[in-house]
Amino acid sequence: MWRATRKGLMAHKFRLVSTYIAVLLGVAFVAGTLVLSDTLQHTFDNLFTEVTKGTDVSVRSKAAFTSNDDSGSGASDREAVPASLVSTVEKVDGVKVVTGNVQGYAALIDKDGKAIIPQGPPTIGVSYSGVEEMDPLTFTAGNGPRAPNEIAIDRRTATDHHFAVGDRVSVLLQDGTKQFDLVGIFKFGEADNLAGATLTAFYPSTAQQEFNKVGKWDTIDVAAEPGVSSTELRDRIAGALPKQYEAVTGQTVADEASNQVKQGLGFFTTLLLVFAAIALFTGSFIIFNTFSIIVAQRIREMALLRALGASRRQVTRSVLAEAVAVGLVAAVSGLVLGLGFAKGLTALFDAIGMDIPGGGLVLKTRTWVTSIVLGVVVTTVAALIPARKAGRVPPVAAMRETDIEPASSMRRRLVSGGLVLGFGLLLLFTGLFGSVKNGISLVGLGCMLAFIGISMLAPVVARPLAGAIGRPLPRLFGTSGRLAQQNAMRNPRRTASTASALIIGLGLVGAVAVMAASIKTSVTDLVNRNIKADYVLATKSFGNFSPKLAESLNVTPGIDAASGIRIGEVQIDGTKKQLQAVDPATIDKLIRIDMKSGAVSALGNNQLLVSEKIAKDKGWKRGDTVTMKFAKTGDKTFLVGGVYENNQFLGDVTTGISTFEANFSNPLDFVVVVKGAPGVSSSELRSALDKAVKPFPNIEVRTRAEYVQYTQDQVNQMLTLVYALLMLAIVIALIGIMNTMALSVFERTREIGLARAVGMSRRQVRRMIRWESVVVSLLGAVVGLVVGVGFGWALVRALADEGIQSLTIPFGTLVGFLVFAGVAGMGAAIFPARRAARLDVLTAIAAE
Amino acid sequence: MTATATTTRLAAHTEDLVKVYGEGDTQVRALDGVTVGFDSGVFTAIMGPSGSGKSTLMHCAAGLDTITSGHVYLADTDLTALNDKDLTRLRRDRVGFIFQAFNLLPTLTALENITLPLDIAGRKPDKAWLDSVIDTVGLRDRLNHRPTELSGGQQQRVAAARALASRPEIIFADEPTGNLDSRSGSEVLSFMRRSVKEMGQTIVMVTHDPVAASYADRVVFLADGRIVDEMLDPTAEHVLDRMKKFGQ
Repeated sequence: MWRATRKGLMAHKFRLVSTYIAVLLGVAFVAGTLVLSDTLQHTFDNLFTEVTKGTDVSVRSKAAFTSNDDSGSGASDREAVPASLVSTVEKVDGVKVVTGNVQGYAALIDKDGKAIIPQGPPTIGVSYSGVEEMDPLTFTAGNGPRAPNEIAIDRRTATDHHFAVGDRVSVLLQDGTKQFDLVGIFKFGEADNLAGATLTAFYPSTAQQEFNKVGKWDTIDVAAEPGVSSTELRDRIAGALPKQYEAVTGQTVADEASNQVKQGLGFFTTLLLVFAAIALFTGSFIIFNTFSIIVAQRIREMALLRALGASRRQVTRSVLAEAVAVGLVAAVSGLVLGLGFAKGLTALFDAIGMDIPGGGLVLKTRTWVTSIVLGVVVTTVAALIPARKAGRVPPVAAMRETDIEPASSMRRRLVSGGLVLGFGLLLLFTGLFGSVKNGISLVGLGCMLAFIGISMLAPVVARPLAGAIGRPLPRLFGTSGRLAQQNAMRNPRRTASTASALIIGLGLVGAVAVMAASIKTSVTDLVNRNIKADYVLATKSFGNFSPKLAESLNVTPGIDAASGIRIGEVQIDGTKKQLQAVDPATIDKLIRIDMKSGAVSALGNNQLLVSEKIAKDKGWKRGDTVTMKFAKTGDKTFLVGGVYENNQFLGDVTTGISTFEANFSNPLDFVVVVKGAPGVSSSELRSALDKAVKPFPNIEVRTRAEYVQYTQDQVNQMLTLVYALLMLAIVIALIGIMNTMALSVFERTREIGLARAVGMSRRQVRRMIRWESVVVSLLGAVVGLVVGVGFGWALVRALADEGIQSLTIPFGTLVGFLVFAGVAGMGAAIFPARRAARLDVLTAIAAE
Repeated sequence: MTATATTTRLAAHTEDLVKVYGEGDTQVRALDGVTVGFDSGVFTAIMGPSGSGKSTLMHCAAGLDTITSGHVYLADTDLTALNDKDLTRLRRDRVGFIFQAFNLLPTLTALENITLPLDIAGRKPDKAWLDSVIDTVGLRDRLNHRPTELSGGQQQRVAAARALASRPEIIFADEPTGNLDSRSGSEVLSFMRRSVKEMGQTIVMVTHDPVAASYADRVVFLADGRIVDEMLDPTAEHVLDRMKKFGQ
């Protein structure tokens, strides 16, 4: 029996190519993502351990909660400690040496006068003590700064921007640009930079001064005497500290830093895994379809085995064994491909500025076990139904001349498919609109079930729909057109399951397209409605910058008003929330705030303004007192001064700048909005602005229209990424179409031979196959896009509270996808069509 | 021959076998109360015009198809009392088949096809028996060939050898020469004849060819789902004459 299975598998291996590819790509995606994520984590763990090397204990202020503040340091927002604390720490028994450190904003200016701002990672300035025991830097040229006007920078930045020791370098600091002498270039252990950040090391007193921390340190770092463990020293130091300070080990600091990067990485990994899951899910339809066709084609073989005494289970198992074998081989090759994929991506990270030091890829046991189990399980599960069908082939089928088409009733399919679809939609809508905990996983599961339901229902509509789509074919291409149309209609079950994979791909693409278009219109509407300002000033990647800019703009002639907007994180009822801060004196002129109650001026009196949305959620109204927890200053109580209509720019909770400054150490703006004075021409305003931002080379000046364009570009960028990730699912779907066409050609050998014998040309045969494939593709695309628009609509509705108010259906784009699907379908048929045309007439007719 | 038939026991028999296909208006009574026995060690041919129910009779007798009413016995076993699992085991261990076409798995060699039922059952073939079967078939030099490399007659002889290899109590053959030219057909039929004579095999063969029927010891005639006649030690001429009556 196993011999028959094995030999059957070898003989039919070309039929399983599509299954192989589908599993291969899906598994490669999963394996690549896991390897990449593990490799990056490993890299960061090493990196941060390296950075805190030699530091046994670190002393700092306590934080009410840990979060990212936006100073870019990656550390929690904490009060600085007085420099006088150093002597307290020094006196503790077992302390060998103590240094104070500060961190702050410092962007280097390249030789063309442009600020060096990495996409994402921060621009960090640090003090450099030069204490040998705790020096994380390895100098590759020169040495650390030994005088107030000296700096050292990381090697990656130096290489990328052609800096060398001895250069005079401009550095953008909080209060403007200053010049320094570059005296050293360093790396961290093996890495040329710190997870993509640019790093500038300053002389300690310079750092204190430039970061506005004169007489203070962010942390006091301690190296222990030999023989004193870091935990022991930590406890001893903690005993000597006033209660608002804490002592932690160097390892804790490294872990905290590493964990923050990991959180970001975790999101990225999850995103990739979601798309990998989509690819595998699509692939499972191809596998199901392939095995269904194989079983149908080998029905007499199965029947023969049954007649010769093979049990149902033996036949089922022999089909499943094929699935396991293919799954296993594909999963192993997928794992190998995944390693290559991860390698390629680390190269990509390197190309965008993040140095990944050697040490190679990290392949954990979890990764290869997951990959192989996933590949085998997906293949086997997808082949389960076809395999059971194979087991149910009656032995008499071996002796009947005609093939028996298993005729499970359409009505039963309608009921069961409808139930699955209905249940899927129920989950989907509960996830989207209900207030449940795991909304997002419900949405995912609901989507999956809905797609399964749709593919179960698809055969019901496949025949009429294929007929309608193929209607112009007979007129256009005569007999081959008619045959193409009819072939697409003759086996609605097969047509539908072939198209199913494409339904999923284009369903998701359609939903994303609708959502993106809606976001774009909504954002444009909101910006136009909410901003009164003429200009929006921000860095390229919306990083933070000096508040000096807003100050200087407010005294620039020709400018009516300018307000910096700051954001910080607070905790309200235990959950993190973003807090906005604006200048109460000018904000009314710059941003339209529709007050439902209270007045904007309340911001000046240390009060809060809150959005309608959060007011409704929390039951707040004007005059209530609200408690917010700040990382630096702990719980603070505020009066709600008013409620405004939901506003894209202000978010949910807004406060005045002075309140913000009292509770955050971050003094930086992330955006400045500017309005010209009445009577000032736009070109005058522009040149005034250009002049004002000259000392801030990291700032881009955008008009309102340019700002709208910028936000649209952001959405488009995201959209391109999502399309690229979904492309894999679509490619798998097209491979499925190619496979079905090839198997159909194989199955219709006699038919094609007959058509050729009675005079059909090779060209007509090719045309017939190609157009059948186009009809199937378009069928998938039409159903997929209809489903996708529905999903998109639901998503947009669900996100109405987040500011996406208008539903836009991008018809042009959708038609573009249809055309793409048609062309791709034609492309998928090239190989099967050629094969069909090459059939020798006589052998085709003689074939069994 | 009559003497032999009466002294040996029945390898298989049916009692009042009825097989109805379809429902209502489209209902077809393929077998209408057939009671017939197939003696052990005898080569029986079932004949009849198209649509007489001869293939259906064979399918039912072999446990390949379900029946509407009546009983089917293989030796003393009542097939109607068996579930799918038991029927499968019965086919595997006690019955052999030769079909008109598609007898062999194209991916296996001739030898592998011959031992396929034994492989399915997970049994080791009896070497001596297998050798004698292969010698009787006369295909020793072709054992490692694939079905596509064999002629039609050779393929059917491999199918016959496969049926014999597991030493079944009875072999059912469905138009085994239907797709063959007369020379290849006689090769196969002679082999079947020999296996009955020399090895004591029981064979039931459905055919519409009087020449093929002449190789049998006994011919049973079927028309409209009923047994209408039988003939012992048939010759092609006698059978043809009998068949001509159906046309009238």
